[in-house]
Amino acid sequence: MSESREERGKVDISFTVNGERKTVHAQAMERLLDVLRRHLELTGAKEGCGEGECGSCSVLMDGILVNSCLVPVLQAQGANIVTIEGLATEETLHVVQEAFLEYGGAQCGICTPGMILAAVHLLDKKRQPTREEISEGLSGNLCRCTGYSQIVEAVAEAARRRTMA
Amino acid sequence: MRSDPSDYEMVVPGSLHAIVALLANQPGQWLPIAGGTDVMVQYAAGKLAARKLVSIWNLPELRRTEVMDGEIRLGAGCTYADLRRHETVELEFPLVHRAAGWTGGIANQNRGTIGGNIVNASPAADSLPALLAYDAELILVSVRGERRVPYAHFHTGYKKTLLAPDELVRAICLPRRFSEYFSYARKVGARNAQAISKVCIAALGRLADGVIQDVRIGLGSVAPVPLRLMETERAMQRKTIDSDLLLLAKKVAIAEIRPIDDIRSTANYRAAVAGNLVAEFLDRLSSSSAGSGEVKEVLSRWNHSSVEEAAAAILPSCGSKAWAQGMVARRPFPDEAALLRASDETWRNLTLSNWMEAFNSHPRIGESRPVPSSSTQPSLSQSVEWSAEEQHDVADAGADFERLLADANREYERRFNRIFIVCATGKSAPEILQILRDRLKNDEETELQEAAEEQRQITQVRLRKWLKG
Repeated sequence: MSESREERGKVDISFTVNGERKTVHAQAMERLLDVLRRHLELTGAKEGCGEGECGSCSVLMDGILVNSCLVPVLQAQGANIVTIEGLATEETLHVVQEAFLEYGGAQCGICTPGMILAAVHLLDKKRQPTREEISEGLSGNLCRCTGYSQIVEAVAEAARRRTMA
Repeated sequence: MRSDPSDYEMVVPGSLHAIVALLANQPGQWLPIAGGTDVMVQYAAGKLAARKLVSIWNLPELRRTEVMDGEIRLGAGCTYADLRRHETVELEFPLVHRAAGWTGGIANQNRGTIGGNIVNASPAADSLPALLAYDAELILVSVRGERRVPYAHFHTGYKKTLLAPDELVRAICLPRRFSEYFSYARKVGARNAQAISKVCIAALGRLADGVIQDVRIGLGSVAPVPLRLMETERAMQRKTIDSDLLLLAKKVAIAEIRPIDDIRSTANYRAAVAGNLVAEFLDRLSSSSAGSGEVKEVLSRWNHSSVEEAAAAILPSCGSKAWAQGMVARRPFPDEAALLRASDETWRNLTLSNWMEAFNSHPRIGESRPVPSSSTQPSLSQSVEWSAEEQHDVADAGADFERLLADANREYERRFNRIFIVCATGKSAPEILQILRDRLKNDEETELQEAAEEQRQITQVRLRKWLKG
């Protein structure tokens, strides 16, 4: 019996997503983005440009911000992935999500999951980033609605709240 | 047309040994993929010719950095993020540090690797002119062993390199002899993050008594390969920088490059920009040496003084002992810019009580002595002198204003339980009173951050004065 095209080269790949261990049956070169959206039905990460320029597919992989459209899923074997779906707990939003809501950091919403993860990554590295550092930390994430200033405000506010907590 | 993942095969051997064995068994068949920031873009566009990929991402043997006496060896698998946070790279190879910071956005810096950039061989790559300027050498590895080649010879034509089908770039070696050089880098593109350069430059230079001892100029996007401007460099040797020399440098540089028209720019524009960048570099080089003799002397003396002496010398710039100790621990600094950067970082990472110590070392605005509660420091007189200079415009403002300011100061101290901190340099008395009144409206946390930011600026101003001797 010949293997179907669909099944060709598929392997089991395991990693942790938002704290849960997952195993997917996928081709090595499937993009992490497609595996998250199609296999695991986590549709928070969006496909924008598909070439690492817009940041709307950003997720955290082993603590670093990556464009999931540029990660072949086999390279995520054993990794710890956090998507936008993994930030809030049942009851409470993440401090960055809350600040985005309050400061109008989200409008059409396409860039928002990536933008928020980029902000979380930045605040992990720098407790009190300057405005310049915030802009730089988000420079790989494009937004066509907000004009960015509300987003920068939201991240600055999230940083303030975190230092106070 | 998007690629079909079922047409591709990928393996993750997990060790350098196994990877070079695979490359040797089927030379030219396997394409190494690290962070995928180039390969996956070709793949997404349906333009990836290789069908077999071998993952070299995050391989410990390729991600190590070795700092040796004469050189630093950067593993080819180091990401731009790795390079940005490496202390020796930041201090001694500022051109690499800067290029790493403007290659792509943060996500691409987290995955893109220096080795990938080299092998991808784009003439527009931002970090490659820096490697040319620093005289980098590459260590190439295969089952046949290792060989070391000058990076300047590595690119043999557009997207062609010396790399054999069974070879991998293992490390990039940078000689540690350029830390005293003046460095200059600039990228001209549609925007800073992500955008591919129209032209980029990385250059180093050294002067003695105003005469060029050495210049090294790397340019991107002006030829089929990243280009070192050997002829321009030769024409500059032993010359004094004046307007004639700038014109000559432009002319020789434009004759030496081979730019093309493409979607990002035109050959004419690129030639004009390249000439201007070379001239700007020389111009900056000449002014860098003119004003910086004292800076260099003060800094180099301080770099080599004892821990106690160094801490005492730098303390008046900020007032916090923890800051002073932090700065001393981060020595040596190659130049003013590195010192100022380190100061900001050290300041931001201090505790509240460290910040309070710095705040309390200042006199009230409008007075001349520090607030009595602060401890008496041996370096107090320097700080008092600087405070007087900084508050110069306030001191001349008249009795009425003094009273208003004193009132506002008292109110501030009642409210926030510390003195009001403002970077007074260049601000008039009414401006300062206005700022003080505005800040009285702040909540506790916002005001603390604002005071810390003002102190950060004061420290920067004072460090610059201190360096001038």
